Amino acid sequence: MTILVAEDEMIMLKTIELRLKKDGHHVIICQDGREAIKKIEEVSPDLIITDIMMPFASGLEIIEAVKRKAGKRIPVIVLSAMGQENVVLEAFQLGADDYITKPFSPNELSMRVKRYIPETLTF
Amino acid sequence: MPSYFNPIFLQINSNDFIGLIYIFLLLLLLVFTFIIGVAIYKRRVEFKKKLWQEDITGIISQAIFYEADENEPLTITFDNKKLLHNPRFRQYLIDEVIHAMKNFSGTTTGNLKKLYGILDLDKDSFKKLHRKKWHIKAKGIQELAMMVQVKYVKEIFRLTNNANELVRNEAQCALVNFYGFKGFRFLNVTAYPISQWQQIQLLNNLQDVTYCKLDGIKKWMESPNESIIIFSLKLATFYNCFDVYDQVIHCLQNPSLQIKLNALEYLKKMPREDTADQITAHYSFGNKIIKLAILSILKEIGTERQIPFLLKQLHNIDDNIKVAAAKTLACIHPLGASFFQTHLFADEYPWNAIFLQIENERAA
Repeated sequence: MTILVAEDEMIMLKTIELRLKKDGHHVIICQDGREAIKKIEEVSPDLIITDIMMPFASGLEIIEAVKRKAGKRIPVIVLSAMGQENVVLEAFQLGADDYITKPFSPNELSMRVKRYIPETLTF
Repeated sequence: MPSYFNPIFLQINSNDFIGLIYIFLLLLLLVFTFIIGVAIYKRRVEFKKKLWQEDITGIISQAIFYEADENEPLTITFDNKKLLHNPRFRQYLIDEVIHAMKNFSGTTTGNLKKLYGILDLDKDSFKKLHRKKWHIKAKGIQELAMMVQVKYVKEIFRLTNNANELVRNEAQCALVNFYGFKGFRFLNVTAYPISQWQQIQLLNNLQDVTYCKLDGIKKWMESPNESIIIFSLKLATFYNCFDVYDQVIHCLQNPSLQIKLNALEYLKKMPREDTADQITAHYSFGNKIIKLAILSILKEIGTERQIPFLLKQLHNIDDNIKVAAAKTLACIHPLGASFFQTHLFADEYPWNAIFLQIENERAA
């Protein structure tokens, strides 16, 4: 599965990337929202994992960009900090599929991503 | 022309004026140089951080993805070992490890703690506790607290009574982070006041902690430090400490207004059968704020035994007291607000206005 990860904190980004690569996924990383929106247009990933607060464009704008994109529907998992409940609700209203609150375990993220693996794909 | 008619600047000769301009330009140059210097320094620091970012990400990732194995303890492979002796690199590494601790949970945090120990980063943080500058001390405490370095608790405990408020706050929060409710042991020795904000912080740190009995709370309620008594009352109220009821009643005799108010809050939340009688007995000793607080609490815990007392308050010289007493009567009188119609002065001002206001409020 091709997964796009948008997160401005390097350690978090690399950790998620390594964890998902360990699971056999192809991972595209973006350090800001603008880059993420551009990559979504170019690559059309199977799943998007995005932080909410990012430079240039927020996670919510990424979800809007995904909605605008015609063609296949891309599930979105949102990473939120504690206390951002209202933002998470807004993300769901815009079309997000799931969320994980920080702090989280990379193993938990791995399990959540597995729910979105199409049955046709095998590793 | 007489000299006192000449404007002052005409008294300065041209040489002095040129001198002043030179001094001004020199100062301007110094300021400009300073600004440029700081900007260059900051750029260098940022550049170095960018260079180090990859190394640090590599180190932390190794820790995050380490799977615990008795035969293979966590080891970090790192090419540029010289960097590990660079104090700036080490500090940046500490900051990133702590950042990672805040973002991840589960076994990851255990691995990050191991990393912190293996690279002796805890010793760097510990050294900060002995620095003179308060903000460095505070940072050291914060780092040790975040990484749950309980082995340094002795030194941190001493700092709970430091002259600097922010150092004290960090040390107190650290103890609560380490030990939960048992961390409040510092209340036995704190000589300085605990601010309202710090009290909120400490209570906030207990959110995810399972309650356990507060062993010293009775002693804290007798502390010479007023803020400790107030904080103890808040703890007792929040965590439903029934066993300190008698101490709380005793607090009603304390001269401090805040202590009395917090004691009343506890009694409102955890009344006994005779609580209404007990707080009424203290009514006449309190100022207006206390009296109003008591009248308000009696709305919830008052019984018919308080009706004669409340009827008397309807004739208090202060109209605010009259209103408060009338509101309480409307809540606890068997006839409710309709009792007002039977009152002797129901048609006289100010009672008619008060009763009408209360009836309107209740109708709304």
